[in-house]
Parts: sequence; structure tokens; C-alpha cells
Amino acid sequence: MFNAEPLPVFSAASSIPRTLRLTEALRIMPPITTRSRDFEQLALPLFASLYNHAHWLTRDPSEAEDLVQESFSKALRAFDTFQPGTNFKAWIFRILRNTFLTTRTGIAASRTVFLEDQPSTLDTASAGPTPEDILLRLDNQAALHAALEQLPPQLREVLLLCDVEEIKYKDIAAILDVPIGTVMSRISRARTTLRQLLQPQLGKSL
Amino acid sequence: MNQTSQTNQSTQHLDPDTLNAFIDGELSPIQQQGIEQHLAACHACTLRVLSATQLKAATSRAGHRFAPPPEALARLTASLHDQQAQTKQQSQIRSAGRIYSIRPAAWATLAAAILLAISLLGWRQLHQTNTLAAELLDQHLATLSSAATPQVISTDRHTVKPWFQGRLPFSFNLPDTSALPPDTTLKGADLAYLNGQPAALLLFTLHKHEVSIFITQRSTSPAFIALPSTRAGFNLRTATTPDLRIVAVSNVNSADLDNLVAVLVQTQAPVN
Repeated sequence: MFNAEPLPVFSAASSIPRTLRLTEALRIMPPITTRSRDFEQLALPLFASLYNHAHWLTRDPSEAEDLVQESFSKALRAFDTFQPGTNFKAWIFRILRNTFLTTRTGIAASRTVFLEDQPSTLDTASAGPTPEDILLRLDNQAALHAALEQLPPQLREVLLLCDVEEIKYKDIAAILDVPIGTVMSRISRARTTLRQLLQPQLGKSL
Repeated sequence: MNQTSQTNQSTQHLDPDTLNAFIDGELSPIQQQGIEQHLAACHACTLRVLSATQLKAATSRAGHRFAPPPEALARLTASLHDQQAQTKQQSQIRSAGRIYSIRPAAWATLAAAILLAISLLGWRQLHQTNTLAAELLDQHLATLSSAATPQVISTDRHTVKPWFQGRLPFSFNLPDTSALPPDTTLKGADLAYLNGQPAALLLFTLHKHEVSIFITQRSTSPAFIALPSTRAGFNLRTATTPDLRIVAVSNVNSADLDNLVAVLVQTQAPVN
């Protein structure tokens, strides 16, 4: 047992010689200051991106702001575990996503399973409109907003990370905690579904 | 990627995964070259690539949709800075506890101390002036105890100043012995924390009275509030230079203390 030997008892911190306290504090203090500065330099430029992504996840401005703030706070606390030289953006997006999954909205969203992850078996020949049709109407921003909103959250998320945030497949795999093959099949399915969602509006806009 | 074999054959049409990997820039240069060769000869696949690129660009435009409210960034940085201040405070307390093995029963005392420190953080927003004055006085009284020895014991500014290198995120000048007011001696120096900020603590004797001088960086302690000029019979003096804030605590008379602070302020002025 660790308590077998009598241990010195110090009733209060004040009985510790001052020089010892300071030596110990010295070892801890300066890194905290530099670390927070490093953290802010890396994280603050990503604020707008993280907010945009959080808004897509939560569908609500104030929830989005809370989510970003909580993610920053968690990231700062966990900044010791970030390995310099690795992708910081992927690291903090992963924290944002995991934080989202523990919120009420996130728990509700994760209960809904939209599609199984499986290798792409889609028949490209019957995948909806011809490329020419799509080209005609891609300048229609409102239609795209509507289509993105109708996209199942799982597919929308992967497409936002890939197309909006321009994050590499391997980093998306780390953010979503899935194999890279799953990322590829989700991207394929997301784009095919997006085309199919844009299809009905084709008649209207022409 | 398992599509490599297919894409290398320039006669085969692109499968959706390969097409996506191609427009997302995820393929190796060799795979990419194979696809470009195929595209040069295949009108249908070229149109598909063009269409997919357009869709990707349109998604990117449509996805950049929600801008944060203008004041959100300020709210965020404020909360981060609060968090950093708390972390610093707690790490100082933790560091004091970590030096010794503590019996399980003593953990309760430690937990209570941490809780007290956290609640103090909230309390000191309202009573910062008093708290800071008390903090200064406590640190000064600690230096008076015969058991307390400063980390550097030296009357030589050329020994004391270099000791702070790498220990403080700023530098300062020390006056030459001849420049000090009469009957004033530099005894030594120590590292201290004031208002959650690292500070240089210089120990002087002036007419047999002990004087503690705290030097902190101005830019990192914006919330420094005007101090009372006396507390519990001790005189407190504050002075600032463009970069530094100097606080003196002693029971020596006001005029002598003012004198010493003035010398220290002068020493910080750049030499022409």
C-alpha cells in the first residue's frame, strides 16, 4: 500500500519554502504564455470557417457561436496534445465535430442514419441529369442552397469539408473518424445526390 | 487507390470515385497523367470532369454562407483570455502542491484551496485594487521572514540582471551601485507572480528598511488598477515606463521610496 510509510504532512501550501514554490512555478509558467500565443495564432484565423461549418451543423446562429466558443476552449485546453507540423485545421475541425456530437442537436442528428457506408455501387449511366443540363443551371445559387440543405447531414458534412474547407481526404477521414475509403464513397454519393436534388428545379429555371 | 489500374488504361472511362479524386487533387502525379491522357481522347469523360468541377466550385460558393456576427470574435477572444488567466492561476496553485507527496486526507485541503482560488478569481474582479495591494504586501512580508532566501543573493547588478534571462518574457535595466540613493543596497532578486503575471522581484535595503520592487510588463497587465498609497502601515508606489510597470512596497518613509522608484524609472530610459 502506498500509505505504509509515514509521509510528511504539510498542512498548508504556505509552509512550503517560497523559493521552492517559485522554482516549480518557473517550470510551468513561461510555456503557458507562449503556448496560448501559438494557439491564438493558429486558431483565430480559422474562426470564420469554423463558424460557417458550425452553422451548417447546428442550423442556428447562436448555437453555432456557442459551439465554436466551446470548441476553442477545448482546443486550448488540449493544445498540448496537438503535434506541431501536423494539420491544425483538421485537428480543430475534429474537436468542433466531436463537440457538436455531444450537444442536443448533435445527439439528435447522430440518431438519424441516412445511408449505409458501402463501396460505391452507383450506376453512373442512370445518375440523373446529363452534365450539360447541370452546367446550364449551376449559377443558380438559391437552388444550390436548397439542395445542400436537403442533402442528408452526413453527406453535406463531407462535401463541406472537401469543397468549402478544401481539406484533404486523409484529414477528413481523421475528422470524421472513418476510413479513407468511406470518405471517398461519401463524397461520390454526396455529389450524385446533389445532382439529383438539383434535377427537379431544372425545369423551373429554364 | 484501387482505381489505379483502370485509370492507367487510357481507353477506360472514369469511375465516379476516380473522377472525384481527380477533381479534388487527391491522385498521384502518375495517376493524374493517366487520366489526362484519357481525357484528351474521350469527349464524354471530359464533359463529366468539367461538370463535376463546376459543381464543386458552385458547392464551395454556396457553402461559404454564414458569416459570424461582427462582435463574435471579440466575445471569443475575451473568453479565451479569461480561460488563460484561470489556467495560469490554477497551475501556480497546483505547482505548489505537487512538490510534496500529500496524504489522501490532505487532498481535501488542497481541493478547498483550489476552489477558494477559483472563487477568488471572480471576487477579485470587484475588489481588484484591494486584492492586488494585499498580494503585494503578502509577497513583501514573505521576503522579510528570515527563512526566505531569494534565489539570487547579490549586490551586483551584473549578476542579478542576467539571472532573469529566459525566466521572464521581458528585460529591464538595473541602476549602477553609484546611481542608487544613499544608504541603498541591492540584496538580491527573485521571480514572483503579480496579478497572474510573471514579475521580477528586486530586494533592496534602504536605511535598514526592506524594500520590494516588482517589475512587470505593461502590455500583459492591462487591468492594473491604481493602488492605495499605503496599506497596513506600508507604503506602496507605482510608476510606469513605456514598457514596464514598477511597484515598490516598503515601510521606509515616502520620500526615500519615491527617490528609489525615480532612479529605477530613469534607468529604464534608453541610453543615447
